[in-house]
Amino acid sequence: MAENAAACRDLGVLTMDFFANLSLAFSVIFQPNNLLFCFIGCLIGTLVGVLPGLGPPAAIALLLPSTLHMSPVAAIIMLGGIYYGAMYGGSTTSILVNIPGEAASVVTCLDGYQLARQGRAGPALGMSAFGSFFAGTVATLFIMMVAPPLARFALKFGPPEYFSLMFLGLTLVTSLGTGSLIKGLMMAAVGIFLGTIGTDIISGVERFTYGSYTLMDGLGFIPVIMGLFGIPEVLENLEGSLKREVYKTKISHIFPTLKDWGDSIWAMIRGSFLGFFIGILPGGGPMIASLAAYATEKRISKHPEKFGTGVIEGVAAPEAANNAASQGAFIPLLCLGVPGNATMAVLMGALLIYGIKPGPFLIDKHPDLFWGVIGSMYVGNLTLLVLNLPLIGLWVRFLKIPYAILYPLILVFTLVGSYSVNNSIYEVITMILFGVVGYVMKKFKYEGAPLILALVLSPLMENALRQSLILSHGSFDIFFTRPISLVLFVAALLSLASQMAPGFRKKLSKTEG
Amino acid sequence: MVLAMKRDQKSSLAWFAFALYICVETARKLPIGTWGDPGPGFWPLGAGLILGGLAALVFLKSLPGKFSGEKVPWYPLHTWKQIVAVLLALLLYAATMEFLGFLLGTFLLLIFLFRVAEPQRWTVALGASALISLAAYGLFEKWLRTQLPAGIWGF
Repeated sequence: MAENAAACRDLGVLTMDFFANLSLAFSVIFQPNNLLFCFIGCLIGTLVGVLPGLGPPAAIALLLPSTLHMSPVAAIIMLGGIYYGAMYGGSTTSILVNIPGEAASVVTCLDGYQLARQGRAGPALGMSAFGSFFAGTVATLFIMMVAPPLARFALKFGPPEYFSLMFLGLTLVTSLGTGSLIKGLMMAAVGIFLGTIGTDIISGVERFTYGSYTLMDGLGFIPVIMGLFGIPEVLENLEGSLKREVYKTKISHIFPTLKDWGDSIWAMIRGSFLGFFIGILPGGGPMIASLAAYATEKRISKHPEKFGTGVIEGVAAPEAANNAASQGAFIPLLCLGVPGNATMAVLMGALLIYGIKPGPFLIDKHPDLFWGVIGSMYVGNLTLLVLNLPLIGLWVRFLKIPYAILYPLILVFTLVGSYSVNNSIYEVITMILFGVVGYVMKKFKYEGAPLILALVLSPLMENALRQSLILSHGSFDIFFTRPISLVLFVAALLSLASQMAPGFRKKLSKTEG
Repeated sequence: MVLAMKRDQKSSLAWFAFALYICVETARKLPIGTWGDPGPGFWPLGAGLILGGLAALVFLKSLPGKFSGEKVPWYPLHTWKQIVAVLLALLLYAATMEFLGFLLGTFLLLIFLFRVAEPQRWTVALGASALISLAAYGLFEKWLRTQLPAGIWGF
């Protein structure tokens, strides 16, 4: 009896907390300034998604310098909006041009483009937008429920736990990628090395600076990201024909029929759950979520042979999953201070530039920022639904801009963006050099994401390692005798071992292909 | 006879050389410390060793087929000149940005970019370059208050 009463009381407190947090979230987002930047973020995000040649990490890195004069809350709201906005926009090119606007919409091409060829581009675009809206809203609700207890739990973390967690993040990024596991690990090692360039904060010794004042503060990660993600995309597009064929079809009936809803609703729900849980994994992310959701739907479908010929659930599931994952990915960053993918690594860099340390204390120390971001997700999803359905014609027009006109614009923005971080020509040169490296890496099938994540995590991991060893008087046992650290280490090793099991990676690449 | 190497062999050799550079430079210039008390060289040396080991593994894994005699180069056969030209133009832009100033430098770069791949008409190239340069200047310098290089002409 007493236990029941206590449980009811706890539930009551949790419910009250939930509504108090919701009220705080809306009070922050409905400030005119924040609302405006949320809208701008969603607008730019959709544009980034629609236009091939600039993905969310490069776009966010590019716009980061322009946010230095804004309040951190408005800045993160805008940059976050670009990230999940790109997930909405990415499906438009997948469906109409058979070219994914960004990586997370690769599988949407399979059925989305076929639907467009059958004259059903409208319902495909509509279902994609509704699926994204549904998943985004569900994921935001989940974040509200999961984030506060997770942050409280993370208060128990010391340097060994953080080291193990970051190690897990790195192994998951490399092992969940669709490329070669060994190459992924190699890129993580390169990122770790690049992260050591600069002055060692413990000993004050300069590492690999060769007397350069610019390198003393370390390699700027914004030029590296823009170089690795922005320039290679442009160069690859220059290799082929610059003309894109937008499938000529009348876009009508964007509101799907009852049959479409019947076919898609469970795919959408499953995609939302799966996407969210993949998103919160360090190393997970929208691309893996969309691949997994598509594979799941195909596996459990009564007519798997029809997948790839234009079935609406083949659009609903991955689009729901990539949106849920993009929002779930905020959890490890905001609650644990560990970015789960390349875009979150850029956002982490942004937070650090604003003087805000992401992690378990963020919710208590900067409640306006945390709950403001949550509020912006609700408003942003609604904004994106409006932007993507009635205004679909506008985005199609953007698709018709010749790439020969577009690419100089993208290049100029990356050049100015990298310059304006520190008003330094060296950052521009760094960006161009990493652009060349990124282009060659793509040709030889090396992924950039593990490198970026390792670059951001490297100084944090090194610090955590050295602090842990100080705590343990030089014994590595500390990582294996503390339960949380041990569990995280075992999980990291299991993730690597599972990838070495035959068949697993083949399945992933098969789904993508 | 020139033997063409597999792409993985070429790339792993390049990464191995890079790993070697990291290890040698670290060993020469930085105190490594001990397992229990790592110095500033410990972390980069670890990264170098892992990279080198994995690069060797990729090389060995690509050996069974020996030299493949691949005829397809890794770079685009027909458009590599354009790509090199674009990259050189970007480097030249960065090198002359402070001398020429943002407006003039960007204007010249854009004209080149509009003409190099699928050349636009001169009127389009000149008009679009002027418009984009001015718009970017207005956006970054005036609105976002970024200090763009003024150049020797002061704009």
